[in-house]
Amino acid sequence: MTGTVFDIGYQPYTGRREGRDRSRKAIYKDGVRAALGLGRGARAKILPWFFISVLAAIALVMALIAGAADRMVGPGAAARLNLPSHSDFNGIASIIMFVFAAVVGPELLCPDRRNGVLNLYRVRPMTGTDYIFSRWLSFLTVMTAAALLPQLILFLGLSGGDPKPMDYLVTHWLDIPRFLTAGLAMAIYATTLALLTASFTSRRAYASVFLVGLFVITTPFTVGLAEEVAGRGGQWISMFNLTNIPVHVNDIIFDDVSEITKEAPARALAEWIRLSWYALWTVVPAGVLWARYRKLAP
Amino acid sequence: MTSGQVLLAVENLSKRYGDVIALNDVSFHITDGITGILGENGAGKSTAIKILLGLLRPTSGTATVLGKNAFDSVEVRSRVGYMPEHDCLPTLVSAAEFLTHMAEASGLPPSAARTRAADTLRHAGLFEERYRAIGGYSTGMKQRVKLCQALVHDPAFVFLDEPTAGLDPAGREEMLSLIRKTHREFGISVLFSSHLMADVERTCDRIIVLQGGQLVHSGEVAQFTKETETVFIEVDSNREDLVTALQRRGVVVTAERSGLTIEGPDHSVYEHVRDALVEARAPLRRMAPRRRELTELFERDGERI
Repeated sequence: MTGTVFDIGYQPYTGRREGRDRSRKAIYKDGVRAALGLGRGARAKILPWFFISVLAAIALVMALIAGAADRMVGPGAAARLNLPSHSDFNGIASIIMFVFAAVVGPELLCPDRRNGVLNLYRVRPMTGTDYIFSRWLSFLTVMTAAALLPQLILFLGLSGGDPKPMDYLVTHWLDIPRFLTAGLAMAIYATTLALLTASFTSRRAYASVFLVGLFVITTPFTVGLAEEVAGRGGQWISMFNLTNIPVHVNDIIFDDVSEITKEAPARALAEWIRLSWYALWTVVPAGVLWARYRKLAP
Repeated sequence: MTSGQVLLAVENLSKRYGDVIALNDVSFHITDGITGILGENGAGKSTAIKILLGLLRPTSGTATVLGKNAFDSVEVRSRVGYMPEHDCLPTLVSAAEFLTHMAEASGLPPSAARTRAADTLRHAGLFEERYRAIGGYSTGMKQRVKLCQALVHDPAFVFLDEPTAGLDPAGREEMLSLIRKTHREFGISVLFSSHLMADVERTCDRIIVLQGGQLVHSGEVAQFTKETETVFIEVDSNREDLVTALQRRGVVVTAERSGLTIEGPDHSVYEHVRDALVEARAPLRRMAPRRRELTELFERDGERI
């Protein structure tokens, strides 16, 4: 049996055009795919999935240790021994989250500028605000998932490891909204700073190195200086430890103290000051980021 | 798109950058077909295109695209395509992935975007290569991907900025053929900016010529070359006598290095040439009608501008 292939030629598109709404969704979807390396070669997937795996592994190890303690020592042993839990996770994982944001975040903005793709977005039915907001939201989605997935694993591990899982759920249900809020706060902060830095260069490596340096250098620098300057001055210097800013929010949400903020003089400052400081470090960078992309100029 | 429908219209358009006047009271309209926009560097071509794409606000005057103000309407961009001159392609993603994304970014739903991306790549001869990363493509293939991204959402109108730049002769031929196909088979009108007059002459139906921010010519390419038809004559000897004989008969004649060019050929001119050749006893070697080329638009007093 033989068949004939007919070329039906060019077919004009007569379907629905969804305009700006679809355009925003496309930028968002592409941002998520770029951050996770989807639709790209294997090399693009290595870094994001490595960091996500490390974060998940930390949570898994924490859950296994707590579960083992409960089973070997007795119910409630993890809490009695003060083993790390949800309130401690963001403190432990914060530096990994920041390095993740520093390495992966620039991938969403730098190649568009470097390769000139922005010139194509400028003539699509979208504005600069649509572009940058969609990109920000897409990276926030990835960062939030990276922050919350380990907490979910930890919660399931802790409740599953408890000899009485239902009792654990009843006692600890409040941890769920707490780790959701704290994870989101961490993600918003890391996303905004990473994208703002990326907006100043078309080279991803420069942005990554600058961000990692910023987080790594400010920590020992501010810790050392805060020790030298006693009193209120030291507390404010301690506030410039960029790694700690969202961890203070985490502490306030969980009404607890993380290992990394335990010694920080900034802890002595009122909660509203620490929350306002966090807001300042997210709203101002977000405003600058928006201003830089408002006109979507390459 | 029906023939003769105005797609782009520019009325008394001016654009100033401080003291520099990029466009000065320019008016033209573009209908269905392939239109070439010509001009030297700094003539105002890029400014005009940017205004029509809605990327620049004019200082005065109006620019409308498909009946809508180009600067104020973001939505009209879903019916317009643009192929920039410079690099604009990501390197790590495949052509299929990139075009699907660009179709969605132009407002097409995801399933339609995938279908359109595959179809557009097929028409551009890139179907077999569609899953390869764009970074590994040749210059010619990259140019075709650039054209594809401008066409993937089936625009009513597409702007092509130097589409043959950097291509070898074979690649240039393919690109010009694809541009002709874009209008003749796909029904998409084209505004084509180029420095290569031969490309414009062979591809465009109409031309717009800008010089120093002002419109100096607008019309059909065929009409321009027809209106400027000349006759070229070469003789073996007595060239000066022939020129004198022709001028005595009121024929406008220009001496060139190898022969004579005679303006406005009609029957009377041919008769005058015959009589002048006899009178000057000039042995005719060659006589042929010749149409002016678009390059002559950019020549002043025989010198290239």
